[in-house]
Amino acid sequence: MRVFTKILFIKVFWVTFLLVSCKSTVEIQGYFPSPVINQLPYSIGVIFNKEFSGYRYIEKSEKREKWEIDVGDAQVQMLNVVLKAMFSSIEVTSDFQSTSGNTLDLFLQPNLENFQYNVPYETKGNMFEVWLKYNMKVYDSHGKLIADWILTAYGKTPSEFLKSQEAALNDAMVIALRDLGAGLSLKFSQVPEINKWLKAQRKSTKASTKIAKNNFVNEIAPRI
Amino acid sequence: MENQTMVFTSVLIAMLCFLFGCTSVTVDQVKHQQVELFQGDSIVVIGRRTGSDYETEPDLISCIGSALSQTNTALNVIPESDFVDKLYPWFEARTAPVHVRDLNRLLSYEKISKIIDDYQLQYIVWVDGNTEKTRSSGKISCGLSPTGGACFGFGTWDTKSEYEATIWDYKSRQLVGKVSSVADGTSYMPAVIIPIPIIAPVQRHACKTMANQLSKFFTNN
Repeated sequence: MRVFTKILFIKVFWVTFLLVSCKSTVEIQGYFPSPVINQLPYSIGVIFNKEFSGYRYIEKSEKREKWEIDVGDAQVQMLNVVLKAMFSSIEVTSDFQSTSGNTLDLFLQPNLENFQYNVPYETKGNMFEVWLKYNMKVYDSHGKLIADWILTAYGKTPSEFLKSQEAALNDAMVIALRDLGAGLSLKFSQVPEINKWLKAQRKSTKASTKIAKNNFVNEIAPRI
Repeated sequence: MENQTMVFTSVLIAMLCFLFGCTSVTVDQVKHQQVELFQGDSIVVIGRRTGSDYETEPDLISCIGSALSQTNTALNVIPESDFVDKLYPWFEARTAPVHVRDLNRLLSYEKISKIIDDYQLQYIVWVDGNTEKTRSSGKISCGLSPTGGACFGFGTWDTKSEYEATIWDYKSRQLVGKVSSVADGTSYMPAVIIPIPIIAPVQRHACKTMANQLSKFFTNN
């Protein structure tokens, strides 16, 4: 009788353990390739605030499964790779000042405004889906706001036999972050305010080259 | 005696069909132009991921790629992930060229055309489609008691794989042809104490037939 009670206790314990421990935790990990794009001849400082670099989504809805999704590291990693290809130099800063003492032409402050996901039983197509909504702010070297725009990203992956829910959601998230990188690298120069700033920079570069040329002709060349 | 052999064969086929689940595959092909592959030329198989309510499975694409390399060793197949990563962000779901004429715009960009030229790419194969469960019926009940657990019942479901491959000639920037593969299959799950899944490998059959047909497409002129 004692043995029977012991077995019953162990079974009840395991069933309770399985029911209670139904929480899925994912730390997003993936490979983010460097984009094949034309580099802008400017330096940029990136301000990753604590909320951004440590972003962790915790599902609070009682109607959904319990999920904890750690997005912070992955989005910082992706932006570092993409911005390195977009600009001649990149520096991670905490405010509008370079830590290395170099003059930075621009500052970028990304902010993840909204994160949403769907798991297969919530979708028609048996897929894991992820939506990301970012607010991007670009400042000039003095910390004056140049542009403020919304960038959205989407990723989906089908659920597969013998593939864990965590792995599938991770894949969907990596696809969404790649989509974000694509959107940022291909549309950055097309944001009207940034486009205007870039044109002004080109103009001033041309003008300063012309002044330097004139100085050379008027002052240095006669001495040679 | 002959009748007995026939009955035995039929029973054997029925049993095999029951053990592995039944699958039927239909393949179709349209060729607009002759294909030419020279020594060192490569092809790439990429999944089209623009569908809003489905996703062409990455596993299916790598399955077609590796099956194609195995069936035709003369073909140099570039793995999808290598190609897409190297050309990031131009072949992502939202940025990939949709029409063959879009390649002109993409290749006007020197860096991209250089990477593709380095691959010695001749053909791009876009695969679009998915595998989905179309019908399910039956019921399996499981119970747990202090002495153990057991299941009883029978479940069955149908799966359909529908894929279409569109082949672009990268050098002439033209649509060369299309290959389609439709596979249907029924899977079973009888449960007497423990459930025994008898899965019809529908997607695997669709992959193999697609790879075989593509291999013929690239070799028969």
